[in-house]
Amino acid sequence: MRLSVSNLSFSFGDSKVLRDISFDVANGEFLGLMGPNGSGKTTLLRCLTRYLPDGAHAILVDMKPLHTFTDREVARTFAVVPQSSSTDFPFTVKDIVMMGRIPHVHSRLATSRKGDAEAVSDAMSASGCAHLEDRPFSELSGGERQRVIIARALAQEPKVLLLDEPTVYLDISGQLEMMDLITKLNKEKSLTVVAVLHDINLAARYCDRIALLNQGRLEAIGPPENVLNSETILGVYGVDVAVRRDPFTHNVFVMPRSTCAPARKDGVRVHILCGGGSGGPAMRSLVENGFSISVGVLNVLDSDHECATDLRVRIVAEVPFAQISDDMHAENLRCIDETPLVVVTPFPVGPGNFKNLEAAMYALNAGKKVFIMAGGSTSGIDFVGGKADAYLSNLIASGAVKVDSVDHMLQLLAHEGAVKR
Amino acid sequence: MFIGLLVVLLLVSAFLAILVGTLGPIGPGDPERISFSDALDAILGLKSDHPAYYSSVFWDVRIPRVLLAGLVGASLACAGTAMQAIFRNSMADPFIIGVSSGAAVGAASAGLIGLTVVVGAFTAPMLAFACALVTVFVVYKMGTVRGKVYVDTLLLSGVAIAAFLGAVVSFLIYFAREDYHQLIPWLLGSLAVAKWSYVWILVVPVALGSFLISLYGRELNALLLGEETAHNLGADPEFLKKVMLATAALVTAGAVAFTGIIGFVGLIVPHMMRILVGADHRVLVPAATLFGASFLIWADALSRTLIPAQELPVGIITALCGGPFFLYLLRKNRTGGMMS
Repeated sequence: MRLSVSNLSFSFGDSKVLRDISFDVANGEFLGLMGPNGSGKTTLLRCLTRYLPDGAHAILVDMKPLHTFTDREVARTFAVVPQSSSTDFPFTVKDIVMMGRIPHVHSRLATSRKGDAEAVSDAMSASGCAHLEDRPFSELSGGERQRVIIARALAQEPKVLLLDEPTVYLDISGQLEMMDLITKLNKEKSLTVVAVLHDINLAARYCDRIALLNQGRLEAIGPPENVLNSETILGVYGVDVAVRRDPFTHNVFVMPRSTCAPARKDGVRVHILCGGGSGGPAMRSLVENGFSISVGVLNVLDSDHECATDLRVRIVAEVPFAQISDDMHAENLRCIDETPLVVVTPFPVGPGNFKNLEAAMYALNAGKKVFIMAGGSTSGIDFVGGKADAYLSNLIASGAVKVDSVDHMLQLLAHEGAVKR
Repeated sequence: MFIGLLVVLLLVSAFLAILVGTLGPIGPGDPERISFSDALDAILGLKSDHPAYYSSVFWDVRIPRVLLAGLVGASLACAGTAMQAIFRNSMADPFIIGVSSGAAVGAASAGLIGLTVVVGAFTAPMLAFACALVTVFVVYKMGTVRGKVYVDTLLLSGVAIAAFLGAVVSFLIYFAREDYHQLIPWLLGSLAVAKWSYVWILVVPVALGSFLISLYGRELNALLLGEETAHNLGADPEFLKKVMLATAALVTAGAVAFTGIIGFVGLIVPHMMRILVGADHRVLVPAATLFGASFLIWADALSRTLIPAQELPVGIITALCGGPFFLYLLRKNRTGGMMS
């Protein structure tokens, strides 16, 4: 089976919903259709099923144009799993799955044939709903219903399974079960799958390729790691996201950045001494409160380094897993020279980054205001045998101010009138 | 198997109903009580030692009446099942697209303007039938945009046009003054008019119509999950809606033209059968058709015997049973967990 869409355009009256869309789907492929609401995903699916018949001439199934198919041939080619299905009428699960045999019925007069019963029970086993056979459909949970609808789709013995946001009403375990089931059918039965998906991470995890629609145009198509980058997502969804890779699977995943505005360049300067993931909340709060921040010294790949990169602030960076070199330490001190305020977050202290504590002492000696953020007990973060604890106590004794949080620090600053907010 | 039981039930019901009445072994206490065997003899024409009119009561009155009740009950229940599927609404009935209100205008004009005298005995049924179909056509046109049938609009147009035509009937009745009582049995639905000719006219359309509707059982199932789903399953929803609406309207208009507006059969019989056989229309349509026939045969037998030496319009019986049942369904749909 080969599905190809070439120069498909579609309008509702005067409004163009799809513009000049072309793509191919290979046999056995799992293609995700993504895009913002109103970008034309569902319309594209409806063109494929010919529910909207006007686009059929632009769609070829095995080189045969879709408008030459009969309705039943279309239903033997594409089976659809909608977002959700419900009915007030007391259909049993088996009744629902049996509906999938409609495109295969040969005679109206014949009652169901043996082949139908077999196809129905095979479909129910494959989608894991055989035990529900005699239950009323309307009494099932959302996840169970979607399994039944997938069984109905399988009973159609289609070439392509079309899914329209099949997980949208399911909880997280239901979503994963559903996607695992679809993937299993895709791999084991080499059933071609085209699925509209809203959840970018779910799509990145399961799809072979992703087609990204925007205002009726095909913005990008390709493997998830190529399509899902922060520039494209910002362009299509208008949302600033950070793109990361799942440490176990190396699938890309995205997360919306916690702060949208890039750090200001003209605010009150603060230098943050951080590391090991301790600095993120302080960076975010200070940026949101209008400060211009710099951070150091951070090893590249440290999660604080990623945070600072996302915020596009000045970073004093050391190569991964290296001790802070004298050069970088000097660079760090230069940053401190330029700022009136220094914040020490509760970072884990080891032999490699002890210099960051020394930088705090340098700041105190240079007459800077130094805040030490409390991290509860310091014992969990001292990897130099008590030296770090002693150094911190010494800092406080020398005039550093201990604060509970960024808010606490801001209150103290406001109280002193040191910072105009 | 269940269908077989319903066939047996129908045959037994019909046979017993023939024996029920003023003259017969079953019925209210009254002068003409005859034994079971005498009744059988009269029906089969075996002995001739009973008065000649015995045979005539059975063959000219009772049997055509029971058969007509069966045909009308079957057509209303079958059409009701189809309408509930088309409208995806278990509160739909065969009259929802204006059949009864249209027929009422036809019957009222025939009966009250006096056309019956001019044209003949079939004027009222013919006029009722014609007006019913014209009304359905208007409602259908109202609910159709560029060849696509919108069932919500159809439903609302049906209600609006029914209200309008109800006013027309009231207007006719108001000006007919004392003549209006002729129309009462028709408006309440009555099988007292039964004749063999009516049976012969109805039998073929009703049989063909219910057969046609039951052929589309699979597609009606699919339609109940939505028109897009029906399309995706290879059942053309536009074709289906048109064929089902036309068939249901023809069958209903035919039944109503002769017997008047017999309410609630087309509403409650599909419900009862759905509880018993489930929602699969491949079984539900034949089941409702057969049980609808039995149901109206019982209701008619009851209408002949409930008050001694008097006959109630059968529509009163069906409404007396149907009203409370309808309320029960309404409550159940409100509070019961049908939608989750």
